[in-house]
Amino acid sequence: MNALRRGIRASAAGEIARTGPETVARRYRFAPGFIGFSGHFPGDPILPAIVQVCAVVSLAEEESGKALRLAAVRSAKFLSPIRPDEEVSIRYRRRVDSGEDICDATLSVAGKTAAAFQLRFAGEESPR
Amino acid sequence: MRPEYALPMAASLLIPHRAPMRLVDTLLSVHAGGGVTESVLPRTSMMADGGGRLDEVAFMEMIAQSYAAFKGYMDLVEGKPAGGGFLVGVRRLEVTGRADAGDRLLTSVRTGTSFGGFAVVLGSVTRGDEAVASGIIKLWLAEDGR
Repeated sequence: MNALRRGIRASAAGEIARTGPETVARRYRFAPGFIGFSGHFPGDPILPAIVQVCAVVSLAEEESGKALRLAAVRSAKFLSPIRPDEEVSIRYRRRVDSGEDICDATLSVAGKTAAAFQLRFAGEESPR
Repeated sequence: MRPEYALPMAASLLIPHRAPMRLVDTLLSVHAGGGVTESVLPRTSMMADGGGRLDEVAFMEMIAQSYAAFKGYMDLVEGKPAGGGFLVGVRRLEVTGRADAGDRLLTSVRTGTSFGGFAVVLGSVTRGDEAVASGIIKLWLAEDGR
């Protein structure tokens, strides 16, 4: 596991909640010292879009107990900046569509959607 | 061309990202509406796991930072401060290969369309002859330095 994913997991602020047969949610709080803020940007920290995507992949891996390979990102919208210490709710719905492993995800802050995107996973046999 | 505009040029002179989140090292070349950058991520990168494999999400950021570097260079040539920007959307990004720390990755970007402060960018990341990722992203670009 890389340092970014370790930092994401350490930023979890609650347990994994299964809110439906295909839906999963979890709260996160990314502290000012979180590695994902480092260098993005000096004096004006904003959670990078790739960290938001990585957080969903990481959560899906934790929930499923399997390593996942990100194969595609589709229809992503990063609507508002996420700052340090904000409580971020990540929610996703994972399903199989036409044989593809699809994950529809949203990140929200204070009830407002900050990002939404669809991921496609390709499974892997060995954990990373 | 004035010597200070000569390429290749360090990306750190052109984009606001800093280590460890700066994933692009050098702007190699520019052409009409785009450019090519180089990245060689170290084993110590936060994107590399214990085996040296790079996280697939890095490719999306490489495309975004590469376009920011191209845009920063064009600003520089025009005598303007390099503007910042944000990745605001991904129409699609397909990851078709893998890369490891130490690999020389080249990212090619070109402008699809631009309107207002937004640009739709076509990009691809290659390792040698192999395409590891390609896609279309949307950036918001500040007109003046952030």
